[in-house]
Amino acid sequence: MGKNRPIKFRILELFLDGEEHWNYEIVSKIQEEYNMQGNYGRDSINFDIIELASGGMLRDLEQRVDEEGIYKKGFLLHKYVITDFGKVRGSDACVRYV
Amino acid sequence: MGIDLKALKEQENRRRVSKGYMWALFCAVFWGIWYLPGTVIWVLNPFDEMFGAIAETNGDGVSLVVTAALITAFNALTVMLALMLWNGVLQKFGELSRTLREFSPCSKWFFLASVFGGPIAILGSFMAMGFIGGAFAAVAALLYPVIGSILAYYWYGEKITKRAAAGIIVIIIGGITIFGGGLITELGTGNVPWIGYLGGLMAAVGWGIEGAIAGKGLDISEPDVGLTLRFLGENIIWWIIIVPILAIVGFPMYTYALQAFEPMALLVLIFAGITFGFCYVSWYKSFPLIGVGRGQGIGNLYGFFAVIFIFLFFGDVPQWTILLGGTLCIIGSFVMFTEEAAEIETLRG
Repeated sequence: MGKNRPIKFRILELFLDGEEHWNYEIVSKIQEEYNMQGNYGRDSINFDIIELASGGMLRDLEQRVDEEGIYKKGFLLHKYVITDFGKVRGSDACVRYV
Repeated sequence: MGIDLKALKEQENRRRVSKGYMWALFCAVFWGIWYLPGTVIWVLNPFDEMFGAIAETNGDGVSLVVTAALITAFNALTVMLALMLWNGVLQKFGELSRTLREFSPCSKWFFLASVFGGPIAILGSFMAMGFIGGAFAAVAALLYPVIGSILAYYWYGEKITKRAAAGIIVIIIGGITIFGGGLITELGTGNVPWIGYLGGLMAAVGWGIEGAIAGKGLDISEPDVGLTLRFLGENIIWWIIIVPILAIVGFPMYTYALQAFEPMALLVLIFAGITFGFCYVSWYKSFPLIGVGRGQGIGNLYGFFAVIFIFLFFGDVPQWTILLGGTLCIIGSFVMFTEEAAEIETLRG
């Protein structure tokens, strides 16, 4: 499931479990599902997450420095949770699959 | 450790904001430049000939609208070409087809947006450029945020704050100056280009409505892809609906459409497509980085750029009422938009 849906739908779907997720967890999951390996794929998925957050659908809860290079060494990692608005938009878009 | 995190946060934020301003400024420059090919195309063949031929049989007014329809149709086509190239470079064709198939949550909003964006806003802009001039067309469209926020108020009950209301009033005064200034002199001579003014109003109303509708689909899709679908919709409207209907009614649409494939006209049309396509793309790119408010506020500087470019390339100095009104509109849009940007990290919710 999810694979044939637009990437932002899938990201919202992953967040609809109501849990907090780190951006690198979501990014690597999407990279794998959509076969978007490589730095370009990684950055463009992360930008989708940033857009969802700026649209008020995700909330940036916490940041930490990526010391070990699990995502991008020396950069910030962000932890997000879905907002109420995100739940509404997410279930509008994903309801058939949830 | 703590300092490290703080420094990194600041660095990330700085990087994000400066990129966002860069995109918004790109948008304003491209949007402003668009009025150059948009104005020039009217004096190029086949459109110049087309206008003359139809004007002889049906009068200037009808001829202007019909010619503007064909120009807008070609504009949509070249924008689409530019966006397809853009999506190709970004490797987004997969996402394009995934989003297209999501008709109910996404695509329907893009198609609806294209109805208001294309046959109303862009057609209106071309009408205003053809009948009054590029500077007027550019500055008249600066009224669009007023329409957008009034719609948002009635549709999703979005509050209009005191500050936004103050901005709206400044923009409306600007609008009255822009439209009224020319009208008063023309009423004196008894020769008013009503269709041009109607076009200016169509641009503002159409873009205001388009913005309110497109936001619904764009927030859950990728903007590069969403915009391409919006222009796919516009191409369908022009090439499958309006142009054939005009042809059936008896206007020589296809005769002139085929003639558009000559080097000069084609070059100008492609120039229009590239500038317009990328102004939309960079506009949407700026939103997540600096907020819709600042993005739109800076985007509206296109009014200045258009006037400057038109002056540089054509040597036209617009009437002082257009300059004053345009300045008021830009000030008003900054007043309106900057409040929202205070909470830059989350814009809604």
